[in-house]
Amino acid sequence: MSEIEIPIPCRHVFHHLSNYLENDVDRETRARMEAHFKECSHCTAVLDGTRNVLRLVGDGRSFEIPKRFSRRLYEKLKKEGKAK
Amino acid sequence: MAAPQKEVARNEAELIDRIRQGESELFYELIHPYERSVFMAALSIVRNEADAEEVAQEAMLKAFANLKQFRAEAKFSTWLVQITINEARMRRRKDRKALYESIDEGKKDEEGDYIPVDFADWREIPSETLEREELKRALAKALASLNEIYREVFILRDVQQLSIAETAQALGITEASVKTRLLRARLQMRDALAPGIDGNWTTGGEYKRVRPF
Repeated sequence: MSEIEIPIPCRHVFHHLSNYLENDVDRETRARMEAHFKECSHCTAVLDGTRNVLRLVGDGRSFEIPKRFSRRLYEKLKKEGKAK
Repeated sequence: MAAPQKEVARNEAELIDRIRQGESELFYELIHPYERSVFMAALSIVRNEADAEEVAQEAMLKAFANLKQFRAEAKFSTWLVQITINEARMRRRKDRKALYESIDEGKKDEEGDYIPVDFADWREIPSETLEREELKRALAKALASLNEIYREVFILRDVQQLSIAETAQALGITEASVKTRLLRARLQMRDALAPGIDGNWTTGGEYKRVRPF
């Protein structure tokens, strides 16, 4: 038996989007959002795009730290007797 | 590849004990796994790499000096990031430029919802694209465009993968605040990256911004 979904507006979807990605929305909200995504290409685009960004920035290669930062840190600590 | 959490904690607890007992030269071994984490946390606040590096070094030295205060039940990495955040904030207060920037930042309260400006559908970006300098530059630029309070949570949670709780602790804010700021940070990052990402990264196709409604 299927439930009657109460549609929610796009701005509610945006409001919950981050928590949705964290799996941190209640069951009802989740169901409404998923029903909304089925019907709304804009919100789906926002969801997919945000997921895409999170996947990229979570990859260790996305931000480089300066070359030799590690070396310089080691040298500094060694000078202070805090490295072998 | 990474050792299970319990094992890491046990090894760290041992290291910390030995350092406290006087084996100072073991300190580098203790902090080495967290170098990147500390640098990124510093960068989220001071915004340039030279300052971030100095802040990172100072934070490490402070952590050593305060090691006796570290409680074994807490997570060492979070404690280290907390020290780094505080050091970075102190550094910013000293920096005169920050005086001007804080005027521009406007209200620190998270008010109103962020509405995305762009609705183009992105194709999946393969991870190999990360090797390309343009994407790295675009990411760095997008990050720099965020206001500090959003950049901070985004770097800790989404770049460094700290939990919401750890992020809250490191920044000295509530979890609710972390979540609200993350929402804005994530949507803003997506909008900031959109012009370059739709098709252009892989197919070199024309980008058409899709206007909302």
